[in-house]
Amino acid sequence: MRTGLTISCAGHAAVLLWSVLALVAQPYHAESIKGLPVDLISATEFSQMTDGAKNAPPTEHPKPVADKVAEAVPVDDPTAKLAKKEIKAATDALVHEPKPPEPKVKKPPQPQAATDPIAEALKKDEKPEPKKPDPKPPTPPKKPAQQEPAPQFDPRSVRALLDKRDSQRVASAAGNEINSTASQGGPGGAARSLAGFAGNPDGLTDVEKAALRAKLHSLWSAPAGMSEHKGMTIDVQFELNPDGTLSGPPTVLTRGDGPLFMAASDSVKRAVIRGAPYTMLRPEHYEAWRVVQATFDPSDPL
Amino acid sequence: MTQRNSTSSIGWLDRRHALLLGAGAAASALAGRAARSATAPTRLEITPGNIQPIPIALPDFVASGEAETAHDVTQIIAANLQRSGLFVPVDPAAYIERNPNFDYPRFPDWRQINAQALVTGRLSPDAGRLKAEFRLWDVFAGQAIAGQSLSTSPENWRRIAHIISDLIYARLTGDKGYFDSRIVFVDESGPKDRRVKRLAIMDQDGAQVRYLTRGDDLVLTPRFSPTTQQITYMSYGQGEPRVLLLNIENGQREIVGNFPGMSFAPRFSPEGQRVVMSLQQGANANLYVMDLRSKATTRLTDTAAIDTAPSYSPDGARICFESDRGGHPQIYVMGAGGGVAQRISFGDGIYSTPVWSPRGDYIAFTKQSAGKFAIGIMQPDGSGERLLTEGFHNEGPTWSPNGRVIMFFRDPGGNAGPGLFTVDVTGRNEQRTPTPSFASDPAWSPLLS
Repeated sequence: MRTGLTISCAGHAAVLLWSVLALVAQPYHAESIKGLPVDLISATEFSQMTDGAKNAPPTEHPKPVADKVAEAVPVDDPTAKLAKKEIKAATDALVHEPKPPEPKVKKPPQPQAATDPIAEALKKDEKPEPKKPDPKPPTPPKKPAQQEPAPQFDPRSVRALLDKRDSQRVASAAGNEINSTASQGGPGGAARSLAGFAGNPDGLTDVEKAALRAKLHSLWSAPAGMSEHKGMTIDVQFELNPDGTLSGPPTVLTRGDGPLFMAASDSVKRAVIRGAPYTMLRPEHYEAWRVVQATFDPSDPL
Repeated sequence: MTQRNSTSSIGWLDRRHALLLGAGAAASALAGRAARSATAPTRLEITPGNIQPIPIALPDFVASGEAETAHDVTQIIAANLQRSGLFVPVDPAAYIERNPNFDYPRFPDWRQINAQALVTGRLSPDAGRLKAEFRLWDVFAGQAIAGQSLSTSPENWRRIAHIISDLIYARLTGDKGYFDSRIVFVDESGPKDRRVKRLAIMDQDGAQVRYLTRGDDLVLTPRFSPTTQQITYMSYGQGEPRVLLLNIENGQREIVGNFPGMSFAPRFSPEGQRVVMSLQQGANANLYVMDLRSKATTRLTDTAAIDTAPSYSPDGARICFESDRGGHPQIYVMGAGGGVAQRISFGDGIYSTPVWSPRGDYIAFTKQSAGKFAIGIMQPDGSGERLLTEGFHNEGPTWSPNGRVIMFFRDPGGNAGPGLFTVDVTGRNEQRTPTPSFASDPAWSPLLS
C-alpha cells in the first residue's frame, strides 16, 4: 500500500513535471480555422448568435455532437483527446482547480477539469445556443483530436466529475458561448489559457479586426524613403486597457538604426498613439485584443 | 484521521497528505502553465503605406531683441517644410497654447489641434553673434525628438532658418534635407528677340538673388562645383562658346582649357577636381575630361556622333551622357575613364540632358516625344522609367542635394519666358520657384553646411 502510494505520487509528480517542462503551451493559432467562413454570416445574425462572442458558422460537422449534451462521449471525446494529447491546454483551463487525483483516471485529472466546464456549460446551455458551442470545443481540440482517439477516457467518470465540479469556467461558459469564453478569456481569466479551445485564436471578429486595421492604416504616414528602402517594415506591439486606451507606450519590435529607421519607427508609434482609444473593439473580446502586434509595411505606394 | 495508520501511510505521507500534495503539485503546475501561456496577441498587417504630409505646428520663435527676425525665421522654416510637400504647417490661428514654453509645451493643447509635430525655438544675441535654439517635439508621444543650438553672424539668419528646416526634415522623414542650398540659373530679361541673359544665384527658396555676370555675353548651363565655391558655365563671349570657371566669392573668372572649336555642357566631377565637357570637332562632338590643376585633358569618347551633356555618378565611377550615335539622341552610360558605352534609354522619343542623382539611385532626363516634353527619371540600368511632369518645353532637370526633388525650367512659349519649377521624385507636388524675371537652366548646389 505504501509502496503503491509512493509510486503513484511519484508517478503523478513526474508526469506533472514532465508536462510542465515538455509541453510548452503554444497558443493555438489554428491557422486552418482562419478559414472559418465568418463572412457567411451577416452582421445581424452574428450579433444574435454571439452574445458578443465568437461567431460559429454551423458548417462544422461536430455541431451535432455538441447538441446532445447527454452524449458526453462525442463532446468529451475531443476534449478528452485534448486532455490526453494536450495536457497543456487542459492544465491551462483551470489555474486553480485542485483536481483530486482520481485514481481511476490515470491521466492527470486536469484534462477532465478542462472538459468539466465545457460539458457543464453544455449542459446548461444546450437550449440557447446549441449551434454556438458546436465548433468551439471540437475545434481547438481538433488538432489534438485529429491525432488519435483517446480511448482511455471514460465518459461516465467525467460525468461523475461534472456533477461535483464547481468550475470557475462556469462563469464564462454560462454565457452560452463556451467557444467565445474560451477564446475571449472570460472574466475568470482562466479561459484565457483556453485560447487553444476557441475557434478563432485571435478572439476578434473579422469585423473588429478590419476596423482596427483600417484605423491604423488611415493614421499612418510612412516616411517617403521607407518604401524605396526595399523590405523595410516595422513591427510594433502595444497593449490596451479594457476601454481601448493604450496601457503603455507602443514598443517597436523591429531592430534597426539610422535616420530612416528612426523616422519610420516614430511614424508607426505615432499612428498607434493617435488611434487610441480603440473603441471599435468589443469589451467582451478584451482578452483577445489586449495585446496587438502590427506589421507596418509600406510596400510600394508609388 | 486522528492518528496515522501505518498501513495507509508512509511516515507523514498518508493518503490525505498525498492527495493534498498531488493537488498542490497539480495546482502549481497549472498555475505555471497558465502563467506562461500568454494570450496570443492579435496580429495585423498594415499595408500599403500612405505618404501623407505631417501636420506640424510652428509657433513663432521667441526672440530676446530682434523680434522681426524671429518671426521671419519661423516663416522661412514653415515655407520650406510646406514647399517640400511632406509637411503641412498648422494654421497659427488654430493654436490653443499661444506661447509654448520652450522646454515644456502643453501637449494636450497641440494634440487637440492634431499637430503631430511641434517646433519651439528661441533667438538671442550672443556676443555679437546670433544664437538660435530649437526643439522638435513628437506631440503624441509627448517627447522631444530633436534639438540643437546654432550660432552665426546676424546677417546669416536666413541660413539658420534653412539649417533648422533641414534638421526637422531629416528627423521626421529619415532623408537628409535640402533647404540650406542655392540655385544658380540663367536670368532672362528683355524682349524675346533680344533677351539679356545673366548668370544669377539665389537661395533655393528664391531669396537673395545676386547676379554674377553683367549680361554682355550669352551664358548657358551653369553648374556648381560640389566642393568649392565655383561655378562652371558656358559663355558665348567674343568668338566661340567657351567653358568658364567662376569663383562665386571673389568673382574671378577663368577659361577652362583653351580648346579649338566649341566647348560646352561642362560638369564637375564629384570630388570637384575635374570638369567633363563636350568638345566639338567638325560635325561631331566628343566627351573630354580636364583636370583643373594639371590642365591635362583626356578624351573619353570617339564616335562619329554628337556626345554631350555628360554627368558623373556620385561615386565618380561612371558617366551618363547623351549621344545620337544610334540615330536619335539617347542616354548612354560608360565608365568614367571612357570605354564602351551602354545605351539605357529605349522608350519612344528623344532623350537628352541626363543628370545622375546625388543618391545614385536615379538618372533624370528630358524626353521629347509626339511634340511633348517631359521630365522623367530612370534607374541607372535603364529600368523603372517614370515621367514626372509633362508639358510644352520642360527641360534641364537638376537634383536637390538629397536626391528627392528635381528642379527644371519650363518655357510656355509665346511671349512669355521660361520659369523654374520643382517636382518631387514621386511626381507629386509640382511648385513654381519665384524668380525676379524669366529664368532657365537651373543648377542646384550641394548643401552649404
